[in-house]
Amino acid sequence: MTDTSSTLGVPPAAPEPVISITGVSKRFPGVQALDDVSVDIGVGEIHCWIGENGAGKSTLIKVLAGIFAADSGTVTMEGRPVAIRTPNDALRLGMAFILQELTVVESLSVAENITLGHEARRGPLFDAPAARERAAKLMESIGFGHVDAAARVGSLSKAEQQGVMIARALSLDARVIFMDEATAALDEAEVRRLFDVIHRLTATGHSVVFVSHRLEEVLELADHVTVFKDGRVAASVRNHDLTAGDLIHWMVGREIGQAFPPKTRTPGDVVLEARAISTASIEDVSLHARRGEVVGLGGLVGSGRSEVLRALYGLDALQKGEILIGGRQVAASSIRRAMRSRIALVPEDRRSQGIIPKRPVEENITISWTQQGQGRGWRSVSRRLALRLIEELGIRTRGPRQSVATLSGGNQQKVLVGRCLALEPGLLLLDEPTRGVDVGAKSEIYQLIDGLARRGMAVILVTSELPELLGLADRILVMREGRLVGELPGDAREEEVIAVAMGHRESLGAA
Amino acid sequence: MASVRTFVARQRGNPAIATLMVLAILVVVFSLTSSRFLTWDNFLNVTRSSSTVVIVASAVTLVMIARGLDLSVGSVLAVSVVVSAKLASTGTPLPLAYLAALATGLGFGLLNAGFIVGLRVSPIIATLGTLNIARGAAFLITSSAILVGLPSNWADLGTGYMFGVVPYPIVVAAVVAVFFSLLLNYTVFGRNVYAVGGNEEAARIAGVNVPRMYVALYAMSGLSTGIAAIVLGSRLGSGDPNIGVGFEFDCIVAVILGGTSLAGGEGRISGTVLGALIVAVLSNGLNLAGVEPFWQYVAKGVALVVAVVIDRLTRLERESTEARIGAVGSAEAPVE
Repeated sequence: MTDTSSTLGVPPAAPEPVISITGVSKRFPGVQALDDVSVDIGVGEIHCWIGENGAGKSTLIKVLAGIFAADSGTVTMEGRPVAIRTPNDALRLGMAFILQELTVVESLSVAENITLGHEARRGPLFDAPAARERAAKLMESIGFGHVDAAARVGSLSKAEQQGVMIARALSLDARVIFMDEATAALDEAEVRRLFDVIHRLTATGHSVVFVSHRLEEVLELADHVTVFKDGRVAASVRNHDLTAGDLIHWMVGREIGQAFPPKTRTPGDVVLEARAISTASIEDVSLHARRGEVVGLGGLVGSGRSEVLRALYGLDALQKGEILIGGRQVAASSIRRAMRSRIALVPEDRRSQGIIPKRPVEENITISWTQQGQGRGWRSVSRRLALRLIEELGIRTRGPRQSVATLSGGNQQKVLVGRCLALEPGLLLLDEPTRGVDVGAKSEIYQLIDGLARRGMAVILVTSELPELLGLADRILVMREGRLVGELPGDAREEEVIAVAMGHRESLGAA
Repeated sequence: MASVRTFVARQRGNPAIATLMVLAILVVVFSLTSSRFLTWDNFLNVTRSSSTVVIVASAVTLVMIARGLDLSVGSVLAVSVVVSAKLASTGTPLPLAYLAALATGLGFGLLNAGFIVGLRVSPIIATLGTLNIARGAAFLITSSAILVGLPSNWADLGTGYMFGVVPYPIVVAAVVAVFFSLLLNYTVFGRNVYAVGGNEEAARIAGVNVPRMYVALYAMSGLSTGIAAIVLGSRLGSGDPNIGVGFEFDCIVAVILGGTSLAGGEGRISGTVLGALIVAVLSNGLNLAGVEPFWQYVAKGVALVVAVVIDRLTRLERESTEARIGAVGSAEAPVE
């Protein structure tokens, strides 16, 4: 416990930040997620955090929320160092988090949600009228007076549910409210109303940390902007005459990264063509891929990049459009059809969709191959195949019998690539192949992708890391909100990709 | 050096070792409580009585490795017994009556598969439903009476000895256990069972036909129950619709005691065989010691809970050693 008595008598200095984050670092296997990050959040200010996916914003929020423990660094609130070990600590200190996935209890009423965990009581009983009154008052104060406090939260719109979360934060006496991508699911009118709520909050001395990918919103709303890049703070400035160009520049400006293999590949025949395909999450996407070509699929997380790969692989059902492989239309989409057409996928999430953790490396490499119906003696062929791919891909393992869960992330990823190569695919779909992989393994994977393309494979690559996209792809298709919104050449600049991905083409001149 | 340490760590967390130790302790304890326990006759007695559990639990092991569950086996056992007994008592040749038992078991297995794969009912609810359907069917077929008046050769399989030494039920159980062990360890199907249980989504993306796997597994569970029904019906010499109440419990205890993970993706037939022996030794030993039979329920219940706790503890142990062995330490340093 910190000794509070010494500070009791001293009035706090007026301009002191409500939260001061100093030198916070957090390392995950293979990634320095936060590297010596320092940010001050002022009283009553709207502080916007921006940055590419993986720049560190969400990790920092999770450190403050008590979900991750920082490796080093301190957090002080009004000058006093605080220890945030659990989400409860964060709550007690007056921080509230409104995350992308709303955490309301849909089956309970507005009043019950707002007072959950600190219910109004009359003796041992829940005091429903008191709770409703308190909830109504709080909802009124943030401009949601029209929402009935007795209504079931599941029946409300997303924006109203967000209002409930904000009211709940106020009910818990939160002084700093973090909103992560709060506008992502809202329409224009709802965004306006949320901004109005945010201004009401700051007018009453609350601070709001607002994380967004929409530059216009940030420029309009922010008192203060902090730009994250590769786990560091690239800039932290007051919002005076900032332009989208400034923000983009800070978001991408970086030292020269890893060496990428030279793009001297010559594309051949078209292997795959998708004509105006739509699924539940993408709309009207047309693209093609040629032999010997790396096609990059860019865009923000959630823009539908992975969903394009899922559609091509037969994981998501096509609602419209057609897929042609080698010029021939493919009928009903299914994984087995894709595999028969020699399409292979390295899925987005290695742990939940990729590896079979308790099984040996060999089985993880040859599982897809064994589904093709192998004849007698398949076990020794499988063993030899695994050994060959371990050798070819440079997978560091004690041997094919080692449990795949004990390999490093990069080597697990190579096992998944090996699983695809065992099928000798004509088209390889790679979804975030370097996520959670350390720098050394990354450049090995880059060499690997280049080598496969040179051997005549068509590769479609999804990655959240812009340098990777630009360094590897012969051309770049950019997705936004489920649609393909642009195609850029392989030598495009990062600023151009970001601008297209964020729907901000016109800011290019400023950048 | 590292591999030696890994080997030691593996053995420490190896559930089969723990199972074997439990069995050894039980054998020692019961040899002390009854002089009749450690005899050849009693050994045959225990193994014979565990044979039906071994036959069915072997198949259920595969189901549970794949993260499924089959609670219906006790009732399906009963309905399969009474179907074959009914046919045999009305003059149908014995081989045909046996085939009918197999078909009945297979049919209920496919019914389970239909509920689970076709209608997407969770395994626990689907097989609980089948448990009652099959039990009801058994009573309806016999008009709730015990079928007697079976042909003279009916009891041959259940009470006879191969080469005059090994009881046939033990032979059948051994054949079934070896079959499933080979299936699990030496076929693509077996690898797919582990893959589906270890990470169903990954298996699906890798091209494993997951629905077909589940249909096959529940069908095998039903068919094995049909085999067990032939052996048990013959051994008991009648067609009793009350047979096999709580049998599913014995099977699941055997599987879990044998080290099959409730979380799926892990398990071996050898463990299940040991688990089935533990269940049988527990009943037999308590019997011989003159303990009131109802205590057997208590003992089995305790055994199940203890097995699950051991399963969890060994898993924690193994996971922490794997994390230590793994290339990167991901332990989080606390904020000071």
